Amino acid sequence: MAFIMKADRKETLRYLGYRGQDIDSQTERLLEEVFSELERDSSPKSIYQRYRCQATEDAVILKPLLEEISGSSSAVLQSDGSSQWEVILKSKNLAKNLRGCEQAVLLAATIGRAADMMIKKYSVSNLAKAAVVQAAGAAYIESYVDEIEDKVREKANRQGLYLRPRFSPGYGDFSIDYQKDFFELLECRRIGITLTEGNLMMPSKSVTAVIGLTSGKQESCWKRSCSQCEKTDCEFRKEESGE
Amino acid sequence: MNIIERLQTELLFFDGAMGTMLQKQGIQPGELPEVWNMTKENVIRNIHKSYLEAGCDIVKSNTFGINPFKMKNCGYTCEELTEKGIRLAKQAIAETGREAYVALDIGSLGKLLEPLGDLPFEEACKAFVPVCIAGERAGADLCLIETMNDTYEIKAAVLAAKEHTSLPIIVTMVLDENGKLLTGADLEAAVALLEGLRVDAIGLNCGFGPDVMKKFLPKLREISSLPIVINPNAGLPVVVDGQTSYLVKPEEFASIMKEIATDGASILGGCCGTTPDHIRALIETCKGMAPLLVTEKNRSVVSSYTHAVVFDNQPKIIGERINPTGKSRLKQALREKDLEYIYKEALSQQDRGAHILDVNVGLPEINEPEMMESVITGIQGITGLPLQIDTSDIAAMESAMRIYNGKPLINSVNGKQESMDAVFPLAAKYGGMIVCLTLDENGIPKTAQGRIEIAEKIINEAAKYGISKKDLLIDSLAMTISTGQENADITLDALHDVRHTLGVHTTLGVSNISFGLPQREKVNTAFFTIALSKGLSAGIINPNSEAMMDAYYAYCALNGSDQQCSSYINYYSSQAQQPQAAAETGELTLFDAVVKGLAESAGKAAEKELESKEPLAVIDEDLIPALDQVGQGFEKKTIFLPQLLMSAEAAKAGFGAIKAHLKVKGAASESKGTVVIATVKGDIHDIGKNIVKVLLENYGFQVIDLGKDVPPERVVEAAKEHQVKLVGLSALMTTTVANMELTIRMLKQQLPDCNVMVGGAVLTQTYADMIGADFYSKDAMGSVRYANELFA
Repeated sequence: MAFIMKADRKETLRYLGYRGQDIDSQTERLLEEVFSELERDSSPKSIYQRYRCQATEDAVILKPLLEEISGSSSAVLQSDGSSQWEVILKSKNLAKNLRGCEQAVLLAATIGRAADMMIKKYSVSNLAKAAVVQAAGAAYIESYVDEIEDKVREKANRQGLYLRPRFSPGYGDFSIDYQKDFFELLECRRIGITLTEGNLMMPSKSVTAVIGLTSGKQESCWKRSCSQCEKTDCEFRKEESGE
Repeated sequence: MNIIERLQTELLFFDGAMGTMLQKQGIQPGELPEVWNMTKENVIRNIHKSYLEAGCDIVKSNTFGINPFKMKNCGYTCEELTEKGIRLAKQAIAETGREAYVALDIGSLGKLLEPLGDLPFEEACKAFVPVCIAGERAGADLCLIETMNDTYEIKAAVLAAKEHTSLPIIVTMVLDENGKLLTGADLEAAVALLEGLRVDAIGLNCGFGPDVMKKFLPKLREISSLPIVINPNAGLPVVVDGQTSYLVKPEEFASIMKEIATDGASILGGCCGTTPDHIRALIETCKGMAPLLVTEKNRSVVSSYTHAVVFDNQPKIIGERINPTGKSRLKQALREKDLEYIYKEALSQQDRGAHILDVNVGLPEINEPEMMESVITGIQGITGLPLQIDTSDIAAMESAMRIYNGKPLINSVNGKQESMDAVFPLAAKYGGMIVCLTLDENGIPKTAQGRIEIAEKIINEAAKYGISKKDLLIDSLAMTISTGQENADITLDALHDVRHTLGVHTTLGVSNISFGLPQREKVNTAFFTIALSKGLSAGIINPNSEAMMDAYYAYCALNGSDQQCSSYINYYSSQAQQPQAAAETGELTLFDAVVKGLAESAGKAAEKELESKEPLAVIDEDLIPALDQVGQGFEKKTIFLPQLLMSAEAAKAGFGAIKAHLKVKGAASESKGTVVIATVKGDIHDIGKNIVKVLLENYGFQVIDLGKDVPPERVVEAAKEHQVKLVGLSALMTTTVANMELTIRMLKQQLPDCNVMVGGAVLTQTYADMIGADFYSKDAMGSVRYANELFA
C-alpha cells in the first residue's frame, strides 16, 4: 500500500525552532506551499528485513533468520547452507539498546530526492522556503519511518515479540561507517539511497535503523526520546514528559 | 551478423539472474560476486552453462559490480576481474557448443553524482573505463549497461563505452511504480537522452516482475525508435528463510513474457530471481515468434533530467534572458562569477512559462568553457527545464554538451562548412537538437529562396553524420526592419517553406526584428504572432514580457494546440489573483516591509526612499533598525526561523535596490569586512551556512562562500587570499567535525590572527572549545553578533 504523505506540521515547526510564536498569513502560506510541493514530488520507499540477533557487552551480532512464512506455502526454497553468515556491529550503545533481543529488524527508508532538489532551488530564490523544506522533509521521513515501524510492530506483536526503540548509525557510539553494512545487507540501492565518501546518505532525507525485537514486553516500553542524546543544549530537545 | 541486425528478423534471449544463482551457491552478504570469477570460477562458468543449455542467445558476464569504488580492497584490479569474467562466459559458450554472445555487464557505481551527490561527472565516466577496455579486449560482443536509475550516470557509462570500445551498447533501466526512474526522470526524458547518445537498444530490467513491466511497454514503444529489451524479475521480492526470494514460477513468467514479445519487445530475458528454468520456459514459449517491426517515430525532442520537451503542433518558448548581449547587469554577474544572479534569471523565466532556457555566457574576458560548464551544472541543480547551449566557442559547446544531464538544444550551427564540420560530430556523439542558422560563407541571403537553399544544404550535411531532420531546428534569421522593410517577409516566407515544404521545425530570435526602433515590444509581438501562424516551432523570446506571453497564449488558444484553451485559462486565472495579493499588503514603508518579510515591497519601498534620501541614511534609518528588530525578536523567540529568513530576504531586496542606485551613480557600496564561510569537507548539508551568509551580507559584510564539502586547504587559501580575520565553518555530522578540527588547526598554524566561528547540528560549546574554535554560534543570529563585535 502506498504511504499517504501526512506532512507533520507540529514536527516541522519544532524543527524550525517554533516556540508558540504567532504564525502570520505569509508564514502560513509558506508552510502550505512546501507541504503540497513535497507531497506531490516525494516518492517514499523503504526496505527492511529481520535477522537473528545477539547482543554482547559491546557489539551486536546479526545472523540470517530462518523462518516459516505463513500463507506462502507455494514458496519452495532450499536451505542449503547458504545462510551461514554473520555481521558484527560494534557499538556499546547499540548493544545496550538491543540487550536481550533475539531478533532485530534492519530498515532503510527515504522520501526520495525531491526535498534535496527543492532545498537547492529555494536556497537561491527563497531561503525561508528552503529552511521550511529542510524541516518538513525531516518531519516527513520520520513519520514515514514511524509508519514502517508500526507495520513491523503489528506483525511482531502477533508473534509475541515487542519492539525496542529504533537506533540509527550516528547515535551515540554507533558509527556511521556501519551504513556500509546496511547497504550490503539491505541492498539500499534498490530504493535509490547512495553513500557519499564520508558515509552520508543521499538523498539526505533518508534513514537507516536497527529495531530490536524481544519477547519480554516490559523491557520494550521505553520510547525513543531526546534523553539519550548528548547534545543537551540542543534547540530542538524535547522536554521529558514521562512517556 | 551483428546482434542488432539480427533483431530485424528474430527475437533474441538473454540469460537470467546471476545473483540468485550465487545465493544458492552460498555467497555471503558483503561478499563480492565478481571475486568469484577468480576464486570459484567453476561455479560461475557452470551458471553460464546452465543458461546456455536453457537456450539463451546472450550471456551476461559476471561483471555487474566491477568499479573502482566497490573493488577497492578486494585484492584484484577491475581489469583482471573483468577479463576473467568475459573469459568464463566465452569458455561456457565453447564448452556447450552453442552460438551465443557475451554481454559485458555494467552496473551502477552506487554513488550519487553532482550536483546532488558528491561524485563529479567526469569521475563517474572514468570509473566505467577500466571495465569497458578490459571487457572489449577479452572479447565481449556488446556492452549491457543495466539496472540504471539515474540518467546522468547512464550518460557517464555510455560515454565511457563509446569512447573506449566499438561495441554495440544496450541500456536497461529500473522504473518505479509510477514509471519513473529514481531520479524522478520520466521515460520520455530517458529515451530522449539514450537515443541522442545513439545507443543500439534500450529497455527495462529489475524492479518488477513481467506483469508490471508489461504495462510500461506500450509507452516505451510509442516514444522509442530502438529495439526494446525486457529483463524482469521473477516477481516482487519476498523474504523466505532469511533470504530475498522471488516467487513467479517459470511457466507463469514465460506466459507473460510471450505477451511482452507480442507487444513489441525484441530481446527477452530475466533479472533477479529468474533461473535457467525460467529462461528455458521463456524460450520454449516464444521461440519462432517474429519480432514486431521497430519503427522510426520521428520525434523532435530535447530533455532535461526530469522530462522531455517535444516539438510538435504547440509552439515552445525558449527564454532568452541568460545572454549577456546588451545586458550590463548579466555581464557584471558573469565577470564577478555571481552565479546566483544567473540562477534567479533561470527561475523567473521558468515561473513565467518558458519551456527551454537559452544559456549564453560568452564574454571576451572570461574563460567560456569553464563558465559554461559551471553555469549549466548550476542551472540544472535548480530547474528541470531543458537548456539551450548557446555559444560559438566549440570548446565551450563540447564541455557543456558533455556535462549536460539530458539531450540539449544546441545553438548553433550554420551553413559554413567549417561550422558544420565542428558542430555535427559533437551532436552525433552527445546527442542534441541543433539550431541551424541560414547563413554561410557568402553571408545571409537576401531572399527567402537563398535561405531555404542553405537550410537544405545543412540538412544534407547533417544526414552524413546520421543526424536526421527531426533533430534540426532551422532559424531563417529575423533581421531588423529598420534597415529594410522587406526583411520581415524574407524571414517569414523562408520559415513557412522550411516548416511546410522541407518539413523541419523552426526557430527565430524574434526580437532582432525591431532593432533600432522605438517601442520594440510592439513590433516584436506582432512579428511573433505572424511567425507563429507561419509555422514557428519555438520562439526565442523574453518570457518576462507580458505582451509576448499574451501573444503566445492567445495564439495557442486560436490554433487549437492549447486543448480546451486550458493553458490560456490557467495562465490568466492565476494572473487575476495577483493584484489582490498586492492590494492586501498595500503600500508599506521599507521598515515595515522588512519586518513583515515582503521582499517585493521592500525592493519597491527602498527605491522610493532613495528618491529623497541618501543611500546610507536608508541603510541606517530603515534597513538596519528593521533587521535589528527582527533579530532581537528571533533571539527573544517572539518570531521563528522562517520569519527571520523572510525578513532577511526582504532586506536583501532593499540592499539590492541601494546597490543598483549606487552603481548608477558610479559609487561602490561599502563593506564592513570580509568573511570566508564554508561547509567542511565530507559534509554536503549547507543550508545553515547559506542562512548565515544572507544574514552577514545584510549586516554589510562581504561574504566569500566556498560552498560545501570544502577541503581544509581551500579554506586556508581563501582566507589568505582575501586576508580575512574571520572564517565561519559549518558541519552537520560527528564524523565531519574531525575535518572541522583539521581546518581550524591549519588556519591557526598559517594565519594565527584569523578567528574561526563554528556552527552546525552536532556542535556544542564544549565541542567547539575542544576543536579550538574561537566562537560557537548556536544559531544564525549568533554569527552576526560575533562578526559585529569582531569588526566593531
